[in-house]
Amino acid sequence: MSLAQLDLSEFIGEIVESSTSQFTSESRELNGAPPFGSFVKTLGALPVYGLVFNVCTHSIEPNRRATAYGLTEQQLREEQPQIFELLKTEFEAVIIGYGDDKGPQQVLPPQPPGIHSFVFPCSESEIKALTNSGDFLRSILCGNGNRLPADDLIIASVRNAWAARAFDMPYLVGIGKDLCRLIRDDYDRLSSIMRRVSQ
Amino acid sequence: MNDLWNNLNGSPNIQTIGEIGVVTRGSLTEGVEMKLNPNRSVEDVKAGKFVVIEGYKNQFFSMITDLTLDATNPDILLYPPRDGDQLLHSVLNGSSTYVTVALRPMLMLEQGEEIVDEPRPVKTIPSHFSKVVEADEEDVSRVFGSEDKDDRFFNLGTPLDMDTPVCINLNRFVERSNGIFGKTGTGKSFLTRLVLCGLIKNEKAVNLIFDMHNEYGFRAMKEGGGQGSSFVKGLKQLFGNQVALFSLDPESSRQRGIQPDHEVYIAYDQIAVEDVIALQDELQLNPTAAESAYLVYAMYKNRWLRQLLSVDGPDVEQFAEDIGANKSSLSALHRKLKRIDNFPFMVNRLDGADAVDTMMDYIDRGIHIVLEFGRQTSMLAYLLVANILSRRIHEQYVTKSEKFYASQNPEDQPRPLVITIEEAHKFLNPATAKQTIFGTIAREMRKYYVSLLVVDQRPSGIDEEVLSQLGTKITALLNDEKDIQGVLTGVSNANGLRSVLASLDSKQQALVFGHAVPMPVVIKTRNYDEAFYKAMGDLSDEERTEKAAAASAAIFGD
Repeated sequence: MSLAQLDLSEFIGEIVESSTSQFTSESRELNGAPPFGSFVKTLGALPVYGLVFNVCTHSIEPNRRATAYGLTEQQLREEQPQIFELLKTEFEAVIIGYGDDKGPQQVLPPQPPGIHSFVFPCSESEIKALTNSGDFLRSILCGNGNRLPADDLIIASVRNAWAARAFDMPYLVGIGKDLCRLIRDDYDRLSSIMRRVSQ
Repeated sequence: MNDLWNNLNGSPNIQTIGEIGVVTRGSLTEGVEMKLNPNRSVEDVKAGKFVVIEGYKNQFFSMITDLTLDATNPDILLYPPRDGDQLLHSVLNGSSTYVTVALRPMLMLEQGEEIVDEPRPVKTIPSHFSKVVEADEEDVSRVFGSEDKDDRFFNLGTPLDMDTPVCINLNRFVERSNGIFGKTGTGKSFLTRLVLCGLIKNEKAVNLIFDMHNEYGFRAMKEGGGQGSSFVKGLKQLFGNQVALFSLDPESSRQRGIQPDHEVYIAYDQIAVEDVIALQDELQLNPTAAESAYLVYAMYKNRWLRQLLSVDGPDVEQFAEDIGANKSSLSALHRKLKRIDNFPFMVNRLDGADAVDTMMDYIDRGIHIVLEFGRQTSMLAYLLVANILSRRIHEQYVTKSEKFYASQNPEDQPRPLVITIEEAHKFLNPATAKQTIFGTIAREMRKYYVSLLVVDQRPSGIDEEVLSQLGTKITALLNDEKDIQGVLTGVSNANGLRSVLASLDSKQQALVFGHAVPMPVVIKTRNYDEAFYKAMGDLSDEERTEKAAAASAAIFGD
């Protein structure tokens, strides 16, 4: 799907903080962030692809915290609807590639995505292109110091990539082999990850 | 789902055609190691398989000699994936757990080069990550030649898991003495018959076969054949007039419904002292026996044995005194040689022609001879007769060759003769090989146009010097470490072949290496059946009737 074909009204977030290796977006809807480990993209001169690794919901005021009311969400929406306006959901994504005229490249973009760019979920074909080799795992394992929950992010993203291929078993085995090399034959880690991916 | 896992773990139906792995390490002396392609199952790769390493400039024709299971991380071996964990199993397969295959490059050819005469030995090794592929039909015929190309080549069987014939070069085969080995029941006789058929069919040499168990001449038992068609055709049936049947025991031949062409009798005067020395082991002769025999010989010349055996009882001591021999030694010799008296083929005087002269006559005409022993299956009879006949034939060949060397007239050139002996370790054991005629023939190679085809189940019993002189060795399964060592005497880099030899099937499989093949190869031997008979020019009964009718019509008119 080319960028021109995207329905701009379908965006799921807007970038509020951006760097070469990751970006933070504010979700369009409260609690409406894309799932952990899902593939997203931004619009701009060059589309940038990321992998959601953190989602948080907090007060729009940096210095204020939400207060516990002891009510269910349903009751709260009826009795105190304004408090939901004071909250926002943000999600962070690690950048795993960008797109050029040849399609998605698994390389960091020359420029970070622009602030206020809209964020969209990736299409199935884009997910396939981004995950056709185990290189995206390397971005997870090697990028951003230790901030990423690497194992869980691998599990979630591999499950998404696998689902995009209709749970094709040879693909999962191939990714497993790449992962095995990347984590330097850490057998315990490999077996734990593979077990959880295939659950 | 199970199929899916099987596919992922290298079942045959997902194999990428041809490529079985890449070269990862190696040395010229130790051979090359290859990492097996993960989608290949290790169980499909067998020791002895014929593969080709596609180097940058050269192709290396190699044999698989060993297989190893390896793991990068010892933890995997301590905590193997659980039984049901197929995914992890598949992931580990080929990455953390992998199979290395030891290859032995046997022959090197430049891309597109043909073997002209002498194969080139391997002088280098392929570079890293050279592809290893299964040999295809073209490779096999490029290396081993093809029967269609030339009558030098004779199809002996096919490589493992392939249908292309592997040929031996018969011209090179008859240039040296050769050996066929294998433990009992592994098909030595079939292999021998196959090779003999090749020699007869392509007229490369005249054969003299000492057929101890009556297996080569006229129909032989097929092992495990059960009832009915459990007999196979012998050489006489396949080649008719080109083969003459001699028999030491005509009565037995007739009982089996065979009319031998000649009966063989041996006169006492034809036995030389050397022939008796060759029986040293069999008769348990003392070292002094030879000396005593020579003393008798000095006195009576050719009549020595007749003379010695004609005295009896106390006269022996007197006899010893007369010729100046040690009494006890001579009487021991006398006592032991007395056994020869019991053989029905021993006669005082020959009535008809001398068997050796008849044989030479046949050999000169290019007719092959099978000498059947009938019921005379004792080792003593076999040793004695084979020795006497071979020695005398060899003498005649020496004379003929000398004559040819002097005249250099191509007409004088003797026909190459191949003598087939079974239980060869009895003739060629280290103690007697230096003295018997067979030891001489094996060592002097083809100088006098006589070579041996040694058939044996106990190669370790054969003198090392003789073993190392054998040109081509065709070996069925051997288990005994000493025998394997014996067969591989005189072979460089024998280690790889050792494991191949020990892992052969017990039937219809053989390792062929040496002078007549460019590289060692494991073959599934050719079937000895109707198709083979046909290839050898044999006709079925109907065809024979038709041919006879046509021939008679041509001569006598309709």
